[in-house]
Amino acid sequence: MLAYPEYPSRIRGGDNNIQIVVSQKSDLTPLEKVDLLFAFSQDLKKIHQNEVKNNGLILEAEQTGINRIAEDLKNPIVKNSAAAGLIWQLCSQDPQILLAQIKKSLASKNVGANLAAAKAGFEIKIKSKKYSLNPVQNKKISGATGNEIFAKAALAANCEYASIYPMTPITSLLSDLAKTALKMITPEDEIFAALSAVGASYAGKRALTATSGGGFCLMSEAIGFAAMAEIPLVVILGQRTGPSSGIPTYSSQADLNQAIFSTHGEAQKIVLAPGDLEEICFLTQEAFNLADIYQLPVIILTDKYLSETTFSVLQSALDKIKVKIDRGKRYKGEKNYARYKLTKDGISPRAYPGQTAFLTNSYEHDEFGFSTDEADERVEMVAKRAKKLASLKSGFEILGNKKSTDVIVGWGSTKTALLEFIFENPRFKYIHIWRPWPFPKPLQKELSKARKVVVVENNTDGQMAKLIERQTAIGAKSVTKDDGRPFYKEELAQLLNSKF
Amino acid sequence: MKLKTTNSKQKSVPTWCPGCGTYSVSFALKQVLEDLKIAPKNTVICYDIGCSGNMTNVLDVCGIETLHGRSIPVACGIKAVQKDLFVIAQAGDGGLLNEGLNHFIHAIQRNDPITLIVNNNLVFGLTAGQQSSATPKDATARGTNERNPISPLSIVDLAAANGAKFIARVPEGDLKLMQSIISKAIKFDGFAVIEIIQPCKIWAKDFPKVSFKNLAKPVAKQINLIGKQNLTGLLYFEGKKNG
Repeated sequence: MLAYPEYPSRIRGGDNNIQIVVSQKSDLTPLEKVDLLFAFSQDLKKIHQNEVKNNGLILEAEQTGINRIAEDLKNPIVKNSAAAGLIWQLCSQDPQILLAQIKKSLASKNVGANLAAAKAGFEIKIKSKKYSLNPVQNKKISGATGNEIFAKAALAANCEYASIYPMTPITSLLSDLAKTALKMITPEDEIFAALSAVGASYAGKRALTATSGGGFCLMSEAIGFAAMAEIPLVVILGQRTGPSSGIPTYSSQADLNQAIFSTHGEAQKIVLAPGDLEEICFLTQEAFNLADIYQLPVIILTDKYLSETTFSVLQSALDKIKVKIDRGKRYKGEKNYARYKLTKDGISPRAYPGQTAFLTNSYEHDEFGFSTDEADERVEMVAKRAKKLASLKSGFEILGNKKSTDVIVGWGSTKTALLEFIFENPRFKYIHIWRPWPFPKPLQKELSKARKVVVVENNTDGQMAKLIERQTAIGAKSVTKDDGRPFYKEELAQLLNSKF
Repeated sequence: MKLKTTNSKQKSVPTWCPGCGTYSVSFALKQVLEDLKIAPKNTVICYDIGCSGNMTNVLDVCGIETLHGRSIPVACGIKAVQKDLFVIAQAGDGGLLNEGLNHFIHAIQRNDPITLIVNNNLVFGLTAGQQSSATPKDATARGTNERNPISPLSIVDLAAANGAKFIARVPEGDLKLMQSIISKAIKFDGFAVIEIIQPCKIWAKDFPKVSFKNLAKPVAKQINLIGKQNLTGLLYFEGKKNG
């Protein structure tokens, strides 16, 4: 199952809709045309009626009697449960399952009225074909948004501090973390959010901030600071349409360049791009390890689609993901401790305040952290930081037909859509890049074998296609979409087939 | 506690001009930490960018040179997760009143339990004499063709107006007073701000005297006067802890 929500940037009203895709398959994509539309008003019906298949069904709250049920119960909000009851009936499902779920989900709300509404909705007699949905047997399936998994994974990684300025699409992450024991400070801006996380991390605790593209602009100096002073920092960057205020509640993948090239100077950083819930779970925990091991900022890219869509996932698959905590090289009481000691791999043992007195510096510095403007020390330190990431391996996953020379490349949230596409079009090879930066070097060899490379991404400029060209000198064709919506299944198939 | 003298000679020499108030501030800080028997490893000082921020290379503590105007956010993050550390944020007038004023006001609002030491030299010193938001009205500075047309912001008044519980203004010349105030501030449970008036010996030396008099009169009524005239004609104040 997949439930993709759309909502406008306002508190109440407007076009709020959710598209639910149900299938026995695991990797799903929102559709251009649906089988069943339920509209809560005539206006909304008009807006969305063209998004229904020719043989599809369009229902509206007034005509179906949903409004009357709510009126009888004197509570307009129970229309939702009444409509759920009706849809449940049309999908030939057992009403007890729905009622049990309402009891669970709305326990703290007006549960009695909602149960009554759902029952009444289920009993509505309308002339319509029925849909048959067969449940997946014997498997425990969980539904979660990307943000919910981000929060769980951060806690699993023993993250102990977060400061987050609210901004779509990471706001629910802020609300979820606020319910936990995690130490949080309400920030005045994203500058504080990022820099206080740098402070907490410097003090020895794993720390997190999260934002969207606009807030990330303000975090740029913190990225440079963390890179220069060699302090771990994890930033979740939830992309939405830009530039500037853009369409605040809609999705985009246009901040790849901003993440990779953020801040002035040459600042070492790692950029990760998980594509589904399991990858969010793994890469978020891994991000904290990478930040600690390499002592630098790690940016995890998500977007409105991945962060706020509810996906289903096998609970056993999530449970299997266990990442051992690795805090990297640590101070062991050595005499004459130098925070930025020159080492073979460029990584210096890290002390925390409270263990010994030592200097940490945003200025160029020597091994002890003293500020310097000496040329030779500058060259040494630049080289030290530059070589830290040399040991980083992998960064992408090869899926689909591994022998094919027709290669589709994606990164981040396009993963489930592309997995569904290659499931239905098994002749293609699909490369999912989960670590755009540092750019995975073996990708050069892999792509050089291809007859044709097509990169799929939700932006206009083809940022990944251009990055690939820059890093490998291999030309790639682009399939792009940047209207705020994810790729729809029919549209993606058409676009991809036209490129090969 | 000792002053750092290790490493190359160049680094052991402070970057301040003769007569700069930062000499006395760094000395006072060193003395207070010694008197309070706080181990250097348990003291974190987050430095602003600017002349006074170069104390990083002088004080033997856990020093962290941050970014311009950003010593407060870093200090707050440290203190939030390591309550046993003594966390001091240092700021210049430019960093505090211009680049990072937002953080100052909100740290007061949240009552973040850190000590803020402001080295107010009334001017952007390191960039060579442009007016900051602490520069007196009618002063001649290098960032404007005319005499500075705007009145300075008052650090202590901003602190008082926003509800700070510990506010002090100390002249650079009174080392004893400075030490006693810093000592109180470090022990204070809550946000404590100490403004040290230390006019830049290079770029503020011709600033109109009348402005110093104005500086000495905070308008906020809740500031409780505990001292009077001193060497430079300035006053210092401490707020009521439970005010």
